[in-house]
Amino acid sequence: MDKKSFILFSFLFIFWIVISGIVDLQHIIVGIFVSLLTVWFWKDLNPKLPSILSPKELLHFGRCIIMLVGYVIKSNIDVIKILLFSDLSAGSIFLELEPDIKSEWGRVLLANCITITPGTITVDFNPETNKFTVHALTRETGAALYDWRIITEIKNLETLVQRRKTPCC
Amino acid sequence: MIEGIVTICFIGSFLAFAFGTLGLFKFPDPYTRMHGVGVGDTLGVGLMGIGLLLLSPTWILRFKLIFILVLFWIINPTMSHLIAKAAVMCGINPTKTTRMRKE
Repeated sequence: MDKKSFILFSFLFIFWIVISGIVDLQHIIVGIFVSLLTVWFWKDLNPKLPSILSPKELLHFGRCIIMLVGYVIKSNIDVIKILLFSDLSAGSIFLELEPDIKSEWGRVLLANCITITPGTITVDFNPETNKFTVHALTRETGAALYDWRIITEIKNLETLVQRRKTPCC
Repeated sequence: MIEGIVTICFIGSFLAFAFGTLGLFKFPDPYTRMHGVGVGDTLGVGLMGIGLLLLSPTWILRFKLIFILVLFWIINPTMSHLIAKAAVMCGINPTKTTRMRKE
């Protein structure tokens, strides 16, 4: 078992123990078996899993998440305002976003950040053109997405991970 | 004190779900309705989770709740994306006022 598989197995096993809430021989044996089975079943996915983050990258990721929580609260209030006080026939917008994010995990993270923020939904992504198709509730929400700070933060995190993987000589 | 905060969280959560349901009826097409429902799915679930976290008597229960919240915040956007993509693939048209903008 390689390092990534072992870490995935550990996560699954801890998840099993926490959710079952009972630590006895039967639960441990079944937990080990089910976790090993899951790791084996998803072994094709293993090379695509992101590497373990360094403490600096984890801090950066934490900052991203805190910022995202702030954006989620703000956009929830905006959507409620639109729902209660705006003309709903004013029109939503489909837009294409082309952020310069190269890694798969970065793209997934950005797509999830866009969708979890009410007011914007990632409808599609084209890996060849690196374009996200996004549906925004209003034109203003859509326009604000072009210079969203989360995109810059994900790019910075990507640069940090890239630098660690290819150390400068 | 804690009970007061929990009450505020639960009322906030109830309001978020209520606005989400209102959005489901008021917004004109499936794409915009998803934004309305998103209010309940993010703010509603988040506030409910915080309220339950504060009420939990043990750390193992709090840990489980945090796990559930994190999983919810990962699964929810994935499912929303799938529904939106399925709507586009099935040819469901948005309202006529919807525009297309390219960067």
